[in-house]
Amino acid sequence: MIKLSGRAKPIGLPGLVDPGVWRVCQASETPTEHPLAYLVRDGDDHVPGYGLYLTQGPDVAVPGPALQLPADLAHLAAGDVIGVAPDGRRITVLWKQAATHNSVLLTEQCDNYCLMCSQPPKDRDDAWLFDRAKQIVSLLPSSARSLGLTGGEPTLHADALIDLLEHCRDTTPWLQLHLLSNGRRFADAGFATRYAQVGLADIMVGIPLYAPEAGLHDFIVQAQGAFDETVRGILNLASLGQCVEIRIVVQLHTVPVLTDLALFIARNLPFVDQVALMGLEMTGLARPNSAEVWIDPANYQRELLEATQILVTAGVATRIYNHQLCVLDERLWPYAVRSISDWKNEYLDICQMCSVRDACGGVFTTSGNRLSQQLRPIPP
Amino acid sequence: MTLRLARATTDLPPAGWQLLPLRFHRLDPDSILVTNLVGEHAFLTESQLLSVLDGTCTNQRLLAELRAKHLIQVPGERLPAELLAIKLRTRLRRLPDSTGLHMFVVTLRCEHTCRYCQVSRQSTAKSDYDMSEETARRALDLAFRSPSPHLKLEFQGGEPLLNFPLVRWIVAEAKRMNEVHSKQLAFVIATNLALLDDDVIEFCGQEDVYLSTSLDGPADVHNGNRRRPGQDSWERTVSGIRTVQQTLGPGRVSALMTTTEASLDRPQDIINSYAELGLRHVFLRPISPYGFALRRRGGAGYGVQRWLTFYEAGLDHIIDLNRHGVPMVEAYTAIVAKKMFTNDDPGYVDLTSPAGIGLGALVYNYDGDVYASDEGRMLAEMNDHTFRLGNVHRSSYRDIMLSDQLLQPLQESFTLSAPMCSTCAFEPYCGADPVFHHTTMGDFAGQKAMSAFCQRNMGVFTAVLRRAREDDFTRELFFRWAQQ
Repeated sequence: MIKLSGRAKPIGLPGLVDPGVWRVCQASETPTEHPLAYLVRDGDDHVPGYGLYLTQGPDVAVPGPALQLPADLAHLAAGDVIGVAPDGRRITVLWKQAATHNSVLLTEQCDNYCLMCSQPPKDRDDAWLFDRAKQIVSLLPSSARSLGLTGGEPTLHADALIDLLEHCRDTTPWLQLHLLSNGRRFADAGFATRYAQVGLADIMVGIPLYAPEAGLHDFIVQAQGAFDETVRGILNLASLGQCVEIRIVVQLHTVPVLTDLALFIARNLPFVDQVALMGLEMTGLARPNSAEVWIDPANYQRELLEATQILVTAGVATRIYNHQLCVLDERLWPYAVRSISDWKNEYLDICQMCSVRDACGGVFTTSGNRLSQQLRPIPP
Repeated sequence: MTLRLARATTDLPPAGWQLLPLRFHRLDPDSILVTNLVGEHAFLTESQLLSVLDGTCTNQRLLAELRAKHLIQVPGERLPAELLAIKLRTRLRRLPDSTGLHMFVVTLRCEHTCRYCQVSRQSTAKSDYDMSEETARRALDLAFRSPSPHLKLEFQGGEPLLNFPLVRWIVAEAKRMNEVHSKQLAFVIATNLALLDDDVIEFCGQEDVYLSTSLDGPADVHNGNRRRPGQDSWERTVSGIRTVQQTLGPGRVSALMTTTEASLDRPQDIINSYAELGLRHVFLRPISPYGFALRRRGGAGYGVQRWLTFYEAGLDHIIDLNRHGVPMVEAYTAIVAKKMFTNDDPGYVDLTSPAGIGLGALVYNYDGDVYASDEGRMLAEMNDHTFRLGNVHRSSYRDIMLSDQLLQPLQESFTLSAPMCSTCAFEPYCGADPVFHHTTMGDFAGQKAMSAFCQRNMGVFTAVLRRAREDDFTRELFFRWAQQ
């Protein structure tokens, strides 16, 4: 696991750092109107003309204002996008060029309060996050392939979200976007239409669905009426030709209804582009609610297999995320995706001897010691 | 714990739900089948059903299941009705694209004298029972008027290979006409394969024509039913099937069987004979009450119950074959499974509502008479012309499709309004068969309490549901069949 933020040491700042988002660059990139932060390497000529310099050590002479990076951020490389606090004392990695998954947090507000939420909602004004997201998008290198947009619930800020999506359409039309949403706002046909009319060529909405009926789903997301809105949102999106992914987090409450949920999707929502069956990340609200949500994945393989087979037979593309191969029934391996975000994944000591380690996503470093008791190396 | 909403707050209080349109049927003393408009279903005990109906149910698991299956809803919910509407539209979506199947009886002549055959004639003067090019041309004109984007032209007989030149002519003419219409065309020759030769094979290969044949099972059963000079029908059919499989490919020939008295004790043998030929589909069809079958010995001398026993034994054998890795599908069960486990109605002509007559199929007899179904023309051979919709030389497309002969039986047999069908829990799985009921009861709707059609299909539905419910492997197998 790599660190994504750290304390920096300002050197020769004339005042506050502005703007707050920069793209890291190296010698080959000539200065432009974009905020480029020049990453100084040992033995570099000190090219002048950049607004900000990033140094590894204290005694490097540079031709402009500089930030000395902490050892934790030595992994920074050209193409990465960073956030810099106005006083220059904190750097946050917002986009890691080398990572396969990059997501931008758009808001921490949410109208659901899911039992196992990994990013617990906070009710405070965070409109600046959308502005920052636009700056990040503006700075993305042309080699960027995909970007996740997450929350909180991004659709709570309808105008800001539409504005951001239009910005993506206009500045990075090649970018594959994945928007995580609880889907409720899309039940409003007017909003769904606005979303569709942005006209992005490659965007998918990932919408969680936890039960085949309102009672259990509303309990899991801790919001009355959510199921009705979420499913109507999916219907609206589908009728507008928009890509939809259904995300099912497999946890204590969803395991008993997993096959019924698969049948419900096969019967009512077979047109969705993908169903993702997700392993639980034991972080955020999942920790205090651990007694409500935790179940050892080894104990739900029968249900997971049956649900997967129902969906696959019904022609619904199905993926299994966040599961270690050694815990997963071998018949499910073809559907397993090495999905844990690079900065969150880790392998245990016992994984060293495993023959399928490289095909496996490893474990969530964020999950602490809540791991399956069945983890074991797969012999060759 | 961070709960804002306790689990109990999402429980349904007494009388906290309302019924969506549902129907029920007692399957056995301990279980009642409950179905919704589109065939989603649950099994309840009598006391459970009563508690759901009178609002006293406290079994939250059961109530959740019924909500998920759109059998009940909570007042104020919009979603269940919306989803039910979508599913119902999906189920009926084929209706505007009417008449995909067009059967051309290119000749009534046949060199077989099958005991159950309804229509064929021993070779007599050719002109008496062969279709002419002029009749075929007018039939094609009508066929291309159908809204369906897919047209399947099936050549029927008699033995259509006895008038093979006309088959060639129709295929060429249909393809020529289709340059304007741009429909998806498919061609099938329904043949006993006895006359299969290199010319036919080459033609079918070049023109992408499929072959459908009759195979009643092992040699003794087959030859006992299907008589021809030399008593070699089975040998010729089997050799024909193998030739087609080897030259054109295994998917290019399929076979249908007819169940006679002689078949009833032999379901395993019959199915195995299909498996040995590499055929993946068996259709355990009951004999129809038409034509010569009723009049001749060896015909429909058995009742529905004996056929059901045969069907269930055959189905169990097929399930067993699959369990042992031999892929085999029972075609009728697959149709029923699709109606049970998906929102799709495959539009099978004999098991759909509105009935498949005219809307699903039209038959052009050798003499130009147009019938609403194959059974309708067989009935005509018994001098009952009820289902004759017109004649290609005298009637327009409108005359035929808007004729009382078609509309009246469609309307009277429509299962959502027909007496005893409209209240039947099996209605979403079933269909309307006005030809059968007219033939057996003189009434398009029929008296369902005494209908063999009704008795047979209820038996099939019960058999399918019971097996799917009792065994995981079987349920998964039926679910796979349903999705094909």
